[in-house]
Amino acid sequence: MNRRPLTVGIIANPASGRDVRRLIANAGLFSSTDKVSVIQRLLAAFGATGIEQVLMPTDMIGMAAAVLKNSHSRQARSSHWPALEFLDLTLRQTVEDTRRAARLMAEREVALIAVLGGDGTHKAVAAEVGDIPLLTLSTGTNNAFPELREATSAGLAGGLYASGRIPDAIGLRRNKRLLVCDAGRGLREVALVDVAVSPLRFVGARAISRAQDLAEVFVTFAEPQSIGLSALCGLWLPVSRQAPGGAWMRLDPQSPEALLVPLAPGLLQGCGVLAAGPLEPGVAHGLSLSSGTLALDGEREIEFNAHDRPTVTLDAGGPLSIDVNAVLAYAAQQRLLAIGREHPQHPLNLQEDTPGE
Amino acid sequence: MSTPLTHDQLLHAYQVMRTIRAFEERLHVEFATGEIPGFVHLYAGEEASAAGVMAHLGDDDCIASNHRGHGHCIAKGVDVYGMMAEIYGKKTGVCQGKGGSMHIADFEKGMLGANGIVGAGAPLVVGAALAARLKGTDSVAVVFFGDGGSNEGAVFEAMNMASVWNLPCLFIAENNGYAEATASNWSVACDHIADRAAGFGMPGVTVDGFDFFAVHEAAGAAVERARAGEGPSLIEVKLTRYYGHFEGDAQTYRAPDEVKHFRENQDCLMQFRERTTRAGLLTVEQLDQIDKEVDLLIENAVYKAKSDPKPSAADLLTDVYVSYP
Repeated sequence: MNRRPLTVGIIANPASGRDVRRLIANAGLFSSTDKVSVIQRLLAAFGATGIEQVLMPTDMIGMAAAVLKNSHSRQARSSHWPALEFLDLTLRQTVEDTRRAARLMAEREVALIAVLGGDGTHKAVAAEVGDIPLLTLSTGTNNAFPELREATSAGLAGGLYASGRIPDAIGLRRNKRLLVCDAGRGLREVALVDVAVSPLRFVGARAISRAQDLAEVFVTFAEPQSIGLSALCGLWLPVSRQAPGGAWMRLDPQSPEALLVPLAPGLLQGCGVLAAGPLEPGVAHGLSLSSGTLALDGEREIEFNAHDRPTVTLDAGGPLSIDVNAVLAYAAQQRLLAIGREHPQHPLNLQEDTPGE
Repeated sequence: MSTPLTHDQLLHAYQVMRTIRAFEERLHVEFATGEIPGFVHLYAGEEASAAGVMAHLGDDDCIASNHRGHGHCIAKGVDVYGMMAEIYGKKTGVCQGKGGSMHIADFEKGMLGANGIVGAGAPLVVGAALAARLKGTDSVAVVFFGDGGSNEGAVFEAMNMASVWNLPCLFIAENNGYAEATASNWSVACDHIADRAAGFGMPGVTVDGFDFFAVHEAAGAAVERARAGEGPSLIEVKLTRYYGHFEGDAQTYRAPDEVKHFRENQDCLMQFRERTTRAGLLTVEQLDQIDKEVDLLIENAVYKAKSDPKPSAADLLTDVYVSYP
């Protein structure tokens, strides 16, 4: 009688997709309206796969309000959206909102959390939720960690996993991470894709889009087809998501060897390569600069100076994520989306509504 | 894109922000005495926006401001004593005491005027940008408006025309969360003001308005685009105001600890001090010295403004109408 409803969370970063790279590169816009559409596609897919309840944070830009309004629509009823519950948060319009929403969802023991945002948003959620799997969706600018994919199929994969129809060995993927530590400052931050060392002194507008602003890069994985810092390593020393190690590169505009890299959408830059090599797990690396900024997953976040001693360490303790391709391949093989005569979406049940019948 | 700021540029940025803060904090006190005529709308809390944008502009670049214009005027280089006298309605004011807080203008400094009509600065800068284009200079024109102003038709028309004519314009939307007492998350339909740029075919970005360096970097990129003939941009600067919409506003529409939170955690002056000193670029002594100089400047401005004469009846029609020969 008191069985808890099958619950998942959705966290969408209201701020992603509108940073300075619209001015200095050709980055596109991921509008709030688009994010609301993505959330609604997820809700339809979650409804179709038996998810009963969805937790969402409120926000200051009207995404939750739009979803609530649309939850009374005919489309929401016909696709059997799960019940919605909005978390009551005091919003500060910083990354702390995302972190607190993630913590509340972890306390409620959700079966998974769908994350809409860039690498930075995923990193913030991952830091709070332990081994709750993430369903990753890219709504940022230069993303390597979340995949660019259609939310409806991602939602189906997430719903199938969360409703217990997919073995963990097939549906889940353990990710690597980079730890940035400085004991003297009590600093311990996590990156999921890359840590870049920049000579720029201030966090400023956060993005890094010029080769000359890069001195060193550490990556957990690097795919040649990606964009941004992951592409820089991916085009020189590729490392897969599954490989135990990572990679590092040291850069200098004066270096005779250079590589052409898509550092931001529409922005190709020649990067002088000094040296590169594999990054072994568990080994703490010092930095090549004594002062500058550290960009975690593409955004400058930490300013450091001569008296600081930050280190970067790769380990295998990153978050779990849903392997959408593997889940859907398994679903096809097992016919998990086959429906019976009693299912409301069965074509025979829809015929009654056809005009003229 | 941004080049590293020089030592003098860093000191200047701090001096501008500190002057705005001290000017506004003092007005907050003085307005309560009833000695200042009209209304004042204080810019305290938003200083990094004016300082970050204006760091890229010279006297040949025009700006148009809004009702919350003191910060823009100070950052654009308008004389602080002349502003204070203007606000007190004195003959020594930058507009001879006939404009007051909402009409401070100084063409020599490229300050086209604060403006009591919400959104009305936007068409003015389109004109200024067109003038720069026709004269063949590389000047840019910048308008500051708020989240309330972002909903005005005049702002939409100006953005459209600036984009159609590819003019060297910057549209700076200072989103402090409230149009008077109306929350922007309730009243701005597409939620992010920056998103509206797409509808006018120009880039739009959002920056942290508590961080001078973030505003400086984004504004630098937009000014560089405009000077290079690449057209207008929209920058949404997210920030907060420390006081009411106008002085006397009880602010019952805000959470009780809202301002306290921003003052304690994100204040632009606090951040600037901490980060420049930590980086070893400026010293606490240098910054404290600026604080002292600014306090003296404001003290003198208020003292003189209070004792200055008001315009006389004979001044009523001077400086009001243009006299054509």
